[in-house]
Amino acid sequence: GPHPSPNVLTGGDVDELFDVKNAYYIGSYQQCINEAQKVKRKYAVVMDDIKASSSPELQAVKMFAEYRANEGKRDAIVAELDKKMSKNVDVANTTFLLMAASIYYHEMNSDAALRTLHQGESLECMAMTIQVLLSLDRVDLARKELKKMQEQDEDATLTQLSTAWVNIAVGGEKLQDAYYIFQEMSDKYSPTLLLLNGQAACHMAQNKWEEAEGVLQEALDKDSSHPETLINLIVLTQHLGKAPEVTNRYLSQLKDAHRAHPFLKDYLTKVR
Amino acid sequence: MLTKFETKSARVKGLSFHPKRPWILASLHNGVIQLWDYRMCTLIDKFDEHDGPVRGIDFHKQQPLFVSGGDDYKIKVWNYKLRRCLFTLLGHLDYIRTTFFHHEYPWILSASDDQTIRIWNWQSRTCVCVLTGHNHYVMCAQFHPSEDLVVSASLDQTVRVWDISGLRKKNLSPGAVETDVRGISGVDLFGASDAVVKHVLEGHDRGVNWAAFHPTMPLIVSGADDRQVKIWRMNESKAWELDTCRGHYNNVSCAVFHPRQELILSNSEDKSIRVWDMSKRTGVQTFRRDHDRFWVLGAHPNLNLFAAGHDSGMLVFKLERERPAYAVYGNMLYYVKDRFLRQLDFNSSKDTAVMQLRSGSKFPVFSMSYNPAENAVLLCTRATNLENSTYDLYAIPKESDSQNPDAPEGKRSSGLTAVWVARNRFAVLDRMHSLLIKNLKNEIVKKVQVPSCEEIFYAGTGSLLLRDADGVTLFDVQQKRSLATVKIAKVKYVVWSADTSHVALLAKHAIMICNRKLESLCNIHENIRVKSGAWDESGVFIYTTSNHIKYALTSGDHGIIRTLDLPIYVTRVRGNSVYCLDRECRPRVLTIDPTEYRFKLALVNRKYEEVLHMVRNAKLVGQSIISYLQKKGYPEVALHFVKDEKTRFTLALECGNIEVALEAAKALDERGCWERLGEAALLQGHHQVVEMCYQRTKNFDKLTFLYLITGNLAKLRKMMKIAEIRKDMSGHYQGALYLGDVSERVRILKNCGQKSLAYLTAATHGMDEEAESLKETFDLEKETVPEVDLNAQLLQPPPPINPLDTNWPLLTVSKGFFEGAIAAKGKAGQMAADMDVDAPGGEGWGEDAELQLDEDGFMDAQDGLGEEGGAAKEEGGGWEVEEDLDLPPELELSAGSGGGAEDGFFVPPTKGMSPTQLWCNNSQLPVDHVLAGSFETAMRLLHDQVGVVQFGPYKQLFMQTLSRGRTCYLGLPSLPCLRGNPQRNWKDCGTKQGLPAVGLRLSDLIARLQQCYQLTTAGRFEEAVERFRAILLSVPLLVVDNKQEIAEAQQLITICREYIVGLTMETERKKLPKDTLDQQKRLCEMAAYFTHCSLQPVHMVLVLRTALNLFFKLKNFKTAASFARRLLELGPKPEVAQQTRKILAACEKTLTDAHQLNYDPHNPFDLCTASYTPLYRGRPVEKCPLSGACYCPPYKGQVCRVTQVTEIGKDVIGLRVSPLQFR
Repeated sequence: GPHPSPNVLTGGDVDELFDVKNAYYIGSYQQCINEAQKVKRKYAVVMDDIKASSSPELQAVKMFAEYRANEGKRDAIVAELDKKMSKNVDVANTTFLLMAASIYYHEMNSDAALRTLHQGESLECMAMTIQVLLSLDRVDLARKELKKMQEQDEDATLTQLSTAWVNIAVGGEKLQDAYYIFQEMSDKYSPTLLLLNGQAACHMAQNKWEEAEGVLQEALDKDSSHPETLINLIVLTQHLGKAPEVTNRYLSQLKDAHRAHPFLKDYLTKVR
Repeated sequence: MLTKFETKSARVKGLSFHPKRPWILASLHNGVIQLWDYRMCTLIDKFDEHDGPVRGIDFHKQQPLFVSGGDDYKIKVWNYKLRRCLFTLLGHLDYIRTTFFHHEYPWILSASDDQTIRIWNWQSRTCVCVLTGHNHYVMCAQFHPSEDLVVSASLDQTVRVWDISGLRKKNLSPGAVETDVRGISGVDLFGASDAVVKHVLEGHDRGVNWAAFHPTMPLIVSGADDRQVKIWRMNESKAWELDTCRGHYNNVSCAVFHPRQELILSNSEDKSIRVWDMSKRTGVQTFRRDHDRFWVLGAHPNLNLFAAGHDSGMLVFKLERERPAYAVYGNMLYYVKDRFLRQLDFNSSKDTAVMQLRSGSKFPVFSMSYNPAENAVLLCTRATNLENSTYDLYAIPKESDSQNPDAPEGKRSSGLTAVWVARNRFAVLDRMHSLLIKNLKNEIVKKVQVPSCEEIFYAGTGSLLLRDADGVTLFDVQQKRSLATVKIAKVKYVVWSADTSHVALLAKHAIMICNRKLESLCNIHENIRVKSGAWDESGVFIYTTSNHIKYALTSGDHGIIRTLDLPIYVTRVRGNSVYCLDRECRPRVLTIDPTEYRFKLALVNRKYEEVLHMVRNAKLVGQSIISYLQKKGYPEVALHFVKDEKTRFTLALECGNIEVALEAAKALDERGCWERLGEAALLQGHHQVVEMCYQRTKNFDKLTFLYLITGNLAKLRKMMKIAEIRKDMSGHYQGALYLGDVSERVRILKNCGQKSLAYLTAATHGMDEEAESLKETFDLEKETVPEVDLNAQLLQPPPPINPLDTNWPLLTVSKGFFEGAIAAKGKAGQMAADMDVDAPGGEGWGEDAELQLDEDGFMDAQDGLGEEGGAAKEEGGGWEVEEDLDLPPELELSAGSGGGAEDGFFVPPTKGMSPTQLWCNNSQLPVDHVLAGSFETAMRLLHDQVGVVQFGPYKQLFMQTLSRGRTCYLGLPSLPCLRGNPQRNWKDCGTKQGLPAVGLRLSDLIARLQQCYQLTTAGRFEEAVERFRAILLSVPLLVVDNKQEIAEAQQLITICREYIVGLTMETERKKLPKDTLDQQKRLCEMAAYFTHCSLQPVHMVLVLRTALNLFFKLKNFKTAASFARRLLELGPKPEVAQQTRKILAACEKTLTDAHQLNYDPHNPFDLCTASYTPLYRGRPVEKCPLSGACYCPPYKGQVCRVTQVTEIGKDVIGLRVSPLQFR
């Protein structure tokens, strides 16, 4: 029977930051400039803006920004973080947990990342947990985590996105569901590179190469050097039977602009 | 009941619909007859000649005529085109109640209070028959629609049916004379048998006001002052009462059959119209007015339209909405017809019933919302009482038999409207006008507080459009927030563009187009009802009104595309086709000419190439389009239409196109034009044109100044000369000043008698001689020589540094958009060329890759397997390798921290099985392992299956293959992306049985052969060999589905091998010396072996010709002859064949071989690919496990010359390219 969700009772619970967060989750960085500064690797701006006196949340962001910006300092930052983690951490500081887990994830220390995230209860923490679990090929656990998210707020953007990730990993009929989630968000907000590549991944997983071509072309039009778009085009052009030159052009573009991208690192490891 | 049109007037006593045009005649109690257009809602004409009430009125079915009958005893026949009464028929002796035309004969039937019914011939304008028998007022008399019958109703309480076949025979049989019956007296004499009473229907117990035949069945309906509606049936011999409809509580004025449905309509002085079900004899609808008694009803002969006249006017109405419920998704149209949900594929025009709707509602489906993700529909049904409206949620069956579709169980709930808001959520506006969000189980998930709202519309995922009395609000369901509101009254329909970037809000007489954010872009008012619309692929909104298909650009520009006879409901627009449903719910496609709106759209979007293309190719020319362009600010475009030089000139100036203006000015050669052009050109800095203009207008002053400022001294001097010739003294002097020519100035002054000035000028400038001679001319007695100012300074114009021959820099505005667009097009062309230049860059990268690949090279299989085989097993893909390398220290650290205090219970999960690992487990096909990134196992498989031992050449293939194995998608921002693994069996592989999508197709490899053949034909053997080898090496990396394809793959290898062997040998042969006889013999042998490679005929011809020539030269005529015959069998080109025949003839003269060669054409052999010697049948032979190339035994263990990767004579499993080969 119909169960009114908590929302019905609380009524006008309008999230003032909804648009900003939402834009961030779906990768629409233009809309949330602060995040964009961080995400678009203008880490220096973030670091300069955040003073020692700023709130713990901002300190956490600064830590992540520093980690991303200075390859040389990473070890020290991680060591510092490990120290912090070994003490009592403020589990209410979701931002800190997320930033710490992000660093661990970049360090490919998924255990530490999961351990950190385990302490938080926000949708953000759960979403990141799901991503880490998926990178570990633990779809079973990711599904469990997703169920928790759905219980908390099924319609939240993060829950929807997480559902899509899990669906892609599950494969089969779920791929179309995942596609619809990305499609729906594209319709509702705007077709960001994140959403378009998500759609493309679904299409390609279903061997719908022609459909994927349209979506990736749209992504390429938006940003001709977006690494994930290029990677997907490398896959796609071959499956479409295009001339090797076409594929090679994307590959060289990727090499030129994104040498540090994990995909390329992986790939080049094979060459060596 | 839906009122379409209402009028206010005196009491309406008669009504008649025009059968074709949207017109209705109303005859009024005050003597006026009104002609209305009920679609345009306008009064077309008034006819006021009757004296007193007009009760009878009827349009003629074909001619522009109508007939009326009034209380002045007159029957009048009118021509509405001529707008006058043609003639009046006199004869009745009392009020006339009804007048009707016969559908075929030139007859008019009239009923009168004088108790008679009369039939008139309106051509001869005479009464042809009088029907007597009623003994009270005859209230109504009507012809039968097809038979020779008349029905009449009278206050004598009877309905009578009359047989008029006698009249027809008499009057209309050949040779019959119309004038047989003239006047009433004649009727008395002969008319008795012309019309006879056939049936008298008794049953009403008060006067009968109306009686009418059923259009097809032998039925009659009547209405009477006994408040009853009766249905009668008749046959040849009798007529009887079938049933009575009771419900009116005052006199029934009129009763008619519904022309198509089993319904009867009646109206009454009780101020109501009632609709009765004919079979059940029950009332199904009642429509009441507050103060007006009803007097008459009219039914449209073809349309679902009725009209009713009452005390203060009339109304045109229909019983039910005719708009079909439909929804469009992609290429599919879903619509409801006859209780079926149907699906129409626009592309294939396949129209199928996909499911049967649950019955139970007497109302048709009002609207539909389709959900493509779940293939589900919401069908909303509106009840007369809105609160009783319901919706049904159906999952459309996946498979369905169109002849007998399933009737799935739907979920029904009450609610005004239900629309999808997400793939698994829909919104319901309930009867309390609050908003519920429900899931696919039809359970309420959320209740959302909304602003006051009477209707909801789809607005993309997570949003709705809410309509209230005077506006529409965009509402975010998730955030429960109104995002935007626009003011537009009573929106009825909402049409989103395919990409939901625009929305059209349709109200009864207005259209508003908004963007996604509901910001109004334009408003369009329509006088006629707006019916439907759809967006075409270029973003133009195509909509229909009751009588037009129209377009609207988002800029607000709109216009008519074509007219319509009947309303249609547009479902989709593609190119020239408008797909629609008509009122019978039939899908139709109408063709439109989109040129006009495409043209305007291209203009708005500044796509000038398109505009130009249309200007050049379409038939758009016309003053209207030119004035449109000018008005809208596109004079440069208009310029292209105009031939008239004067207009051209004006337009060209308007858009600053000096070149065109100059051209036109030359053609016109009018002073005014040159002047205007001069001004415009000067503003732009186009001084060459300015010069020309000044020259043409002989404006010497300006021209002189122009030369001065452009530093054109030569011309300036010329101007001075001209001034002199023209005797323009001041111009002359001015020129001299400009030029700084002092002696000229002196001369001028002297010549014009200004001696003093001449002297002063000469003296001041130090022209002493001249000054002296001037001084001498002074008559010192009368004149004084002026004093020279000692402080005088030389005043000279600055000399031009660089005379300006070219134009000044032109203003940028001088290039209109149009020219700009054309220029840009040129640039785009260059860009395209650049791209081509770039292409070799891509290849350059290829070299780069080569370099990287070659840095270390692949190890030989033995080494690789030996050293890394074990490790590979554990490590799997590249991911894991790195993880293992990087993780350990961190692991220990976090383990330490994890062991501490509060989160001790958290156990990090172990890594799961990645899809790529599963691929390796699930497949023994090398390519699957390559795609999984497990090169080591892939190499082992290639080694075991086809004996590959050198992996160098495979390296690039592996890398290429690997790069198509993994897609990626972004998870959380700022984290590395997630990986996708496209699988070829994704539909049914479950979690464990996955296999990668391969991306290399047999057909693609086969297609690549063509290129190799071309290279071979062109004689580029080394390149060809390389390509053949690439194909050959790719074959083991295929995955195919069936035996046929396995065979084809093997055949492909054979083809490649044969070519590689042959072409390599030929390359080799060409390098050999040919000095000695033995050397020549060897050359011949190799050429002969080549002819035994299996090649395409086109190549074999070339090979045979080479061999033939060599053998002929060696005088081995016998063998040469055999080559010649083989060559001729292949059917070479005529000239080749002719030459071959000649050689053959020469050979046949001496059929011997001069030299003994190691070649016996009749003894089958394999060719050793290393030594190029024949291995005759029965001799030991070693083969390459992949290519099947043959070798003499000593070569066993070496690397195959054809593949360059495999070991000759190696014992292997064999090529494996399909899972079938493992069963």
